Amino acid sequence: MVNWWQGDPILKAMDVATVYPEDYGAVCAAFGAAQAYLEGAEADGFPAHMCGYARNCLGYTARMIELGEIPPEAPMGGMPQPSLLLASGALCDARYKWFQALGRYLDAPLWVLELPHPGVKEGLMEGAGEGNIYFIAQQLREFISFLEKLLGRRMDWGRLDETVDSTMEMNRWWHRANELRRARPCPMHSRDFWSSMPASLYMANDPGETAGLYRQMYDEIKSRVDNKIGALKAPERYRLAFLELPPWHSLDFFNQLAERGWNFVIESWAYHPPRPLDLDRVSDPLERLARYSYHWLTGYYPKANQAEEWWGYFAYPYLEYVRDYQCDGVVLHPLLSCRTATNHLMMVRDRLMKKLKVPSLVIEGDIVDLKLFDPARALSQAEAFEETMDHYKKLRKEAGLGW
Amino acid sequence: MNKVKIFTAGIDLGSTMTKVLILDGEGKSRAQVTGATGAEHRRLANKVMAQALGQAGLSLEEIGYIVATGYGRVNVPFADCQVTELTCHARGVSHLFPSARTAIDIGGQDAKGLKIRDGKLVDFVMNDRCAAGTGRFLEVTAETLGLRLEELGELSLKAASKVEIGSTCTIFAQAEMVALLSQGRPLAEILAGLHQAIASRVVKMVTGLKIEADVVFTGGVAQNAAVVQAIKEKLGHDVLVPDEPLFTGALGAALLAREIALKCLANGKTIPDKERRLEEARLYEDY
Amino acid sequence: MAQDRGMDRAKAIYQDRSQRAGELKAQGKQVIGYLCAYPVLEMMTALDLVPFRILGDMTEPISRADACLPTVVCPFIRSALDLALKDRYQFLDGVVMAHSCDVAEKTAHIWHSYLRPPYFHFIDTPHTTGDSAVKQHKRLLKDFQKTLEQLAGRQLSQERLKEAVKAHNQQRALVRELYGLRKPDPPLISGVESLEVMVSLMSLPVDEGSRLLKQVITEVRQRNSGPPKKPARLLIWGSIIDNSSLIQMIEGLSANLVMDDTCVGSRFYWPDVAATEDPLDGLAHRYLVALKCPRTFRQADPNKASKDYQADLEYRFGYLMEYAKEWRVNGVILQSLRYCDIHGYEVPQVKDYLNSLGLPAIYLEYDYSQAALAPLRTRVQAFLEIIGQGNF
Repeated sequence: MVNWWQGDPILKAMDVATVYPEDYGAVCAAFGAAQAYLEGAEADGFPAHMCGYARNCLGYTARMIELGEIPPEAPMGGMPQPSLLLASGALCDARYKWFQALGRYLDAPLWVLELPHPGVKEGLMEGAGEGNIYFIAQQLREFISFLEKLLGRRMDWGRLDETVDSTMEMNRWWHRANELRRARPCPMHSRDFWSSMPASLYMANDPGETAGLYRQMYDEIKSRVDNKIGALKAPERYRLAFLELPPWHSLDFFNQLAERGWNFVIESWAYHPPRPLDLDRVSDPLERLARYSYHWLTGYYPKANQAEEWWGYFAYPYLEYVRDYQCDGVVLHPLLSCRTATNHLMMVRDRLMKKLKVPSLVIEGDIVDLKLFDPARALSQAEAFEETMDHYKKLRKEAGLGW
Repeated sequence: MNKVKIFTAGIDLGSTMTKVLILDGEGKSRAQVTGATGAEHRRLANKVMAQALGQAGLSLEEIGYIVATGYGRVNVPFADCQVTELTCHARGVSHLFPSARTAIDIGGQDAKGLKIRDGKLVDFVMNDRCAAGTGRFLEVTAETLGLRLEELGELSLKAASKVEIGSTCTIFAQAEMVALLSQGRPLAEILAGLHQAIASRVVKMVTGLKIEADVVFTGGVAQNAAVVQAIKEKLGHDVLVPDEPLFTGALGAALLAREIALKCLANGKTIPDKERRLEEARLYEDY
Repeated sequence: MAQDRGMDRAKAIYQDRSQRAGELKAQGKQVIGYLCAYPVLEMMTALDLVPFRILGDMTEPISRADACLPTVVCPFIRSALDLALKDRYQFLDGVVMAHSCDVAEKTAHIWHSYLRPPYFHFIDTPHTTGDSAVKQHKRLLKDFQKTLEQLAGRQLSQERLKEAVKAHNQQRALVRELYGLRKPDPPLISGVESLEVMVSLMSLPVDEGSRLLKQVITEVRQRNSGPPKKPARLLIWGSIIDNSSLIQMIEGLSANLVMDDTCVGSRFYWPDVAATEDPLDGLAHRYLVALKCPRTFRQADPNKASKDYQADLEYRFGYLMEYAKEWRVNGVILQSLRYCDIHGYEVPQVKDYLNSLGLPAIYLEYDYSQAALAPLRTRVQAFLEIIGQGNF
C-alpha cells in the first residue's frame, strides 16, 4: 500500500514489483465492480462503516481465494496473489489492520513500516526529530534484513542509493511543477494533479523515468505560465482548493464548474510530494529516506508552531496553500468511509475562515460508494457560494490580506 | 404419566401487527387472529388475545402455557414467558418446512435472516435500525400512489420491464417514485423496481449467513407475490412461502409453549404459571 | 447497608466523577486528564500529579463537537470532546493524549487547538512491538517527562518513579483480585458493579483508589447479596464501555457478565510494569507491548516467510482462552462502537479464533447511545437462546 516513499525505493532496488490495492479500490469503484466485493467483505463480518478501499480489497481477496484464481469479472485484469504484504502506518493506522485482516485469506508474510506522527510542540522538542528519524531508519534496516531473507538475495546498496536519489529527483520536479500553479491564471487544474499524482505516489514505474515525465510537465506548465495560459477555457474568476480525495467517478463535475470560471489551483496535501530537502550530505540512503518521509509529514511544523497551530500536517499546510495560491474558496469533500481524509476538514474550515477569511463549501461523498456524491446538488450551490466568495474577498481586502 | 391435553398459545407482538395462535391438545391450530398493533404500540395486544380466545371458545385460564414473542414481547401481562422472535420464527419455519435451512422474514418494520440446523436456530442477522425495505415501506408506497397494499404485488407483476430504484430508504424512494411518475414511467414498472430493491436489500443482508436451500420466506411482506418473485430471481432458486406467512412467529411461540409445558409434565413438574392479567402490554421502552 | 460503604462510594464517584477531583484541587493538587489507556500514569503519580481518565457521557447528546469533529468518527471520542467543549473538563490542569488510535491522535490536535489547556502533551505511541519500537517509546516517554517536570516545577527522580510503579502495580493486583471474585458461580460481583468500581478508580489518585478497592473487595467477599445464579456466563470483548447501561441490559437477561476485555476494565489493568533498573524501560515495555489493544500491530513471528493464520490468532488472542477457562465462560459478546476501525477489522478474526475453541460469539455494534440498546437486547437474548442458555 502507499507508504510515502518509505518502503517503495527499497522494494524497487530489490526488484520487487508492487501493486497498490487502494489504487485498485478506485479502479473497482470506477468500473462498478466494487459493490459485489464490498458485500463479500460484509458477508464475512467486516463492518460496513470501515474504509471502502479496505473492504473492496478484503472482498476481492476472499473471492480470489475461493475461486483459486483472479476473478474473471475483475476490472483491468485484477490484482495477483501477493507474495509479501507491506503495510504502512502513515496517516492512517487502519491500513495495517486491513493488511493484517487479509491473513484470513492469504498466507503471505506481512511487514509494517511505521511513520512517527508527533504533535507540533513535541516534534520540535530538542532531539525529537533526530530520534524519530533514527527510529524510521532503524525500521527500514530491519525491513531490509527481512527482505533479504525472504528473497534469498542481498541488497545492492549502490542501486538503493541511486533509487533513493531518483525518487527524490522525481518528486522535486513534481513539486516544482505544482509551484508554478501559483501563477494567475493558474496553468494546471486539480484534475491534472490527480491524474498525474499516481506516478509519484504509487511507484509502480522506474522513478528515474517518472522524473523525466514530471520534468516535461514542468516545462509545459512553465511555458503556459510564461504565455499566461490558464487551465480553463473560460476566464479564471475564482481560485479554489479541494480537500481531500476527489469524487473519482464524477470528475465531470469540475468541467461544469470550470465553465463558471472556477479554477482548482491546489488540493490534497497528503498526495503532494514534500517540499525539497537538501540531503546531499547524508550518505546513508536509508537515513536519506527516513529524513525524507519524515520531512513530508513534519516539514510544516516550525511554521505551524509560530502560528500556534497544533495540527501540523493535514490541517496547517492548507493555511499556507490557500495563502500562497491565493484561493478565494475551498471545497471540502468529507468521505463517509474514510475518516482519515475527513477528520481535519471541520477544523481546516474553521482555521481558514478565522485566519484568512476564506470560506468553504462542504460536499459529502465517498471513495467507493458512489451514490453518496450528488453533483447536481453540489452544482446548485455554486452560485450562492460565488456570492460568499465575493463577500469574503472584500473582507480580505479590508483586512489587508492581499488577495 | 397421565395423558393431559393441553392448550397453548403464542402471541407475536410485531411492530405493526399482533398475531395470536392457539394450539389445541393435539398441537393443531385451533384459532388464529391478527389485529393491528397500531401506532398505539401494543396497546391492543390484549384485545387480539381476547378475540382469539373467543374464536377458540376458551378462557384465558384454560390455556396451559403462553409464550410472547416479537418486538413488544417484554411486558405482556398475560404471557408466561418471552422468547425472541428469532427463535420463534425458526421454530415455526421448521415445523412448516422441516427441510428449511435458511429463513428470510420481512415484517412491518424490520427484516431478519435465520440460519436453521435440525430445526434449531444457529445464527441470525437482523436489521431493525430503519424501516427501509420493510412492510412500512410498502405501506408508504401504497399511500403515495393511492393504492391498496394488497394491490401492489399483483400490479407490479404485470410490468414488461422495471425501472432502477436507487434507494429503499422510505423517504428517498418516495421522492424518487414521484419523480419517475412525473417523467411518465408506467406505474407497474416503478413498482417492479421497488420490489426489486426490497429483494436486493434483504438478500444482501442475509448473504452473511451463507444462504443454503431450502429457503423459506415469511412475515407480512411474504404475502406480496412480486417480492417473492424478486427474491427467487436474486437467489437463483426457489423460495418456499407458508400459506399464512404472517403467523410463523406466533406458531413458533405456541409450539415452544407446548414443548415447555409437555416437558414440565413429563418431568413430573407442574407447569410454571404466573398470575395472568388480560391487560394492555406495556411499552418496551417503559423498562 | 453499612457494610456496602466502599461499593456505595464507588457508585457515587461513578455518578459524579469530577467531585473528588474538585476537592483535590482545593487542596492544591494538579489534576491531569488523559484519554485512553496509553498515557503513562506512573510518571504523573510520581510527580504528585493526579491522573484523571477522560470519558464520555452516553446520556448527553453531542452538539458542540459537531463543529470540529465529523459525525462519522468514534462516538465515544466525540462525546468526550463535546463534554470538554461544554466546560465539563474545565477543572483539568492539563491533558495528555496518545496515539492510541487514529481518531484519538487526530482528536488530540483538535483538543489542543480548540480547548488550549494550560498543559498539553501528546505521546506518539508506536504501533509495532519490536525492540526499535520499544526504544522509540522510551525516548518519547523521556520527552513526556521533560514537559511534566516543567509543569510540576521539579525533577522526577528514579526513586519516586519506582515507588509510583509499585503503587500502580499494587492497584493492578487488587483489580485482578476483584476480578477473581467473578470466577465463582454465581459471581460475587456483577458486571455493572465492577464497571462502576473501574470508573471510580480512574477518577482517584492511585493510593486512594487502592484503599477504596480493598474496602470493596472485603465487602464483596462478605456480602450475601451478590448477583443471582444464571445459566450464561459471558465474556465481553471490544471497544470502550464507560457507561453501565449496556452491561445492565445484558445482565437483565439470563446472563452474568463474568469477565471483560475492554479498556475500562481488565485490558487497562491486567499487565504489571516490570521492575527495571531504569523504570522507564519497564514502563515503555508495559504500555507498548504488554497492554493488549487492537490498536497495536502484533503478529506471531514477523520474520517468517509465510504466515500461519491459526498460530497468529493464538498469539494475538490466546489470552481470551485463558479468560474463558478461568472464568468458566460459555459465550462471548464482541462489541464495537460504530466507526471503531481497530476493533472492526479484528471482529472476523476474533470470531475465527473463538470458533476454533468452540466458544459461541455474537457481534454487536452500537453507536454510544441508550436508544440503541433496546434492539441489541433482542440480539443478545436470541444469542442466549441459541447457545441454550436462554430462559426457557
